[in-house]
Amino acid sequence: MSTSLQDTPNLGAEALLAQPGDAPRATRRRGGRPASERRSPVAAIVRWIALGATALVMLIPLYVLVISAFKPQEEIVRHPLEISPTTFTLEFLGNAVTSSKFNVIAAYGITVLFVVLVNLFCILLSAPVAYVIARGRRKWHLALLLLFVSGLFIPGQVTLIPVVFVLRVLGLINTIPGFILFETAATLPVTIFLFTAYLRTVPRDIDEAAALDGAGRIRTFWACIFPIMRPVVATVVVLNSIGVWNDFVSPQIILGPGSGIYTVTTGVYAAVGEFSTDYTVVFPTLLLAIAPIVIFFIIMQRHIIGGLVAGATKG
Amino acid sequence: MLTDNAPSATVRAAVIDTGSRRRPSVRWGDRLAGLAMAAPAVVVFVAMFIVPMILAFVLSLTDWNGYSLRFDFIGLENYRFAFRNPRTIDAAVFTAVIAVVGTILCNALGLALAALVSAPGRANTVLRTIFFYPYIISALIIGFLWSALLAPHGAVNGVLAGLGAGPVPFLTDPAFAKATVILTIVWAHFGFNMILYIAGIKSVPTEFYEAATVDGASRWQQFRSITVPMIAPVVTVNLVLTLVGLLKVYDVVLALTDGGPAASTQTIVYQILKDSFAQSRLGLGAAQSVVLLVITAAIGLAVTFARRGAERKVTD
Repeated sequence: MSTSLQDTPNLGAEALLAQPGDAPRATRRRGGRPASERRSPVAAIVRWIALGATALVMLIPLYVLVISAFKPQEEIVRHPLEISPTTFTLEFLGNAVTSSKFNVIAAYGITVLFVVLVNLFCILLSAPVAYVIARGRRKWHLALLLLFVSGLFIPGQVTLIPVVFVLRVLGLINTIPGFILFETAATLPVTIFLFTAYLRTVPRDIDEAAALDGAGRIRTFWACIFPIMRPVVATVVVLNSIGVWNDFVSPQIILGPGSGIYTVTTGVYAAVGEFSTDYTVVFPTLLLAIAPIVIFFIIMQRHIIGGLVAGATKG
Repeated sequence: MLTDNAPSATVRAAVIDTGSRRRPSVRWGDRLAGLAMAAPAVVVFVAMFIVPMILAFVLSLTDWNGYSLRFDFIGLENYRFAFRNPRTIDAAVFTAVIAVVGTILCNALGLALAALVSAPGRANTVLRTIFFYPYIISALIIGFLWSALLAPHGAVNGVLAGLGAGPVPFLTDPAFAKATVILTIVWAHFGFNMILYIAGIKSVPTEFYEAATVDGASRWQQFRSITVPMIAPVVTVNLVLTLVGLLKVYDVVLALTDGGPAASTQTIVYQILKDSFAQSRLGLGAAQSVVLLVITAAIGLAVTFARRGAERKVTD
């Protein structure tokens, strides 16, 4: 029995497993409170001024973005920080929604479709291979993991130009399948790494029990192991969704303006790029572009932050 | 949750006989199944990562224009052109400045704020969200937002005018524009560093702080002598991620300044994509990409090794 693989320290898995344990840790820290209560009132005031000022710097741009979406150009320029009921208007937001330059509804639909497809293919491809790697005891299993992990260190911009070449040879350039193929491949390194780290913490007893029940390996995995992977799948879905939703360069280059397919980011670029001084176009368009992701963030905050930490501390 | 899936001991015992008798054929089936499970991901990864990696080197030696599949080999001409082109040199220098200054500011701010808001509590949770939220917004949109706010008639100059201050050329003067690009990146990015530092700070055992408090150490002393050394690995992760990430800055520059004024804020990736797609010189773009890849890998490795010492001190 070589269970030694499970004994090796595994940062990614530890970070993941640490998440549920957040609550008890929080209460333990509260035990350390007396130290902060000893702080002098001056230090407390300085601390709150620093935090308050930083918070304002972070929030005012968002505030201006939101209120400016409901004001005419003159108001935006003259009174940037105020919104008055007399000049309040939904006209420009309406124009942005129905703009011929940037079909927001279609862009939402396309981008959500891309997010769903990339997540689906990413998980379908990564989960089985991560399982094989995590359960493998041979050298080539480790080599396979290293192969995928090497992808973490290759900047997307380096492969983009040759990827255009490959997709052209395959006849997939400027097509949705070509884009999905590239985006899915880009998610593989992180996903396979996180999946493998997680699967190494899942006891082999489950596999053996399933095998004794007569289930083949593929069935064992999908029926018995995959359901256990829910937390790490959630992490990966969060990382991929934000990545695909915000990606600009890949859809711009691989889909290309010629294809007529716009994601939220390439659509915003097409709409705002030309009219960057007409604020009645800029602010409503930007508001429409960030609204879904900000709402998603507010609802899923815990998972998003946990997922990003897990994804980053993998090394 | 795990025990739900484990069959009872009796079932296990009953199946053992048949299992051992059929073992050789099962093994082969398992191998084939393993191959079938690994193959699709390997094929996609090789087609979209490994082959392009090799192709990047090959294409960098050609005059490929991106449209036809025909090209000629022109030796090292692309590299020679790139290293002699003042635009590329300027872009490389500005990218280096962004990476170094941005990394320092992001990590200093991130660590400082992490120390201030890492304790539990509702106010701290809200503050963390406020500091972090720009990170999940597309860099392109961050760029357009600040471009609108900092324009000559934008909100910031509007407020300054109200205070009697003249318009500041945030985006129209080369020196100001460079600073604007860096500060915009820091504004959007430091929250991510902060979140990683908080995760690191929370992993430090509280006993250390309790012991230090008993010994009469001030909070600043505790931060310097306990927190910073204990989170050394997190510092390394933060430095490498930020440095390597900032070398690839593109979207925010495109939206904020479009490389201007007078090409003063072009970054290396901006240059690569402009040469490749606006000028249809993908061979030249590939050559610059290869150089970027080498620099990225070298910096990543160098920082990781340089930080080894700081990390080892903790574990000893």
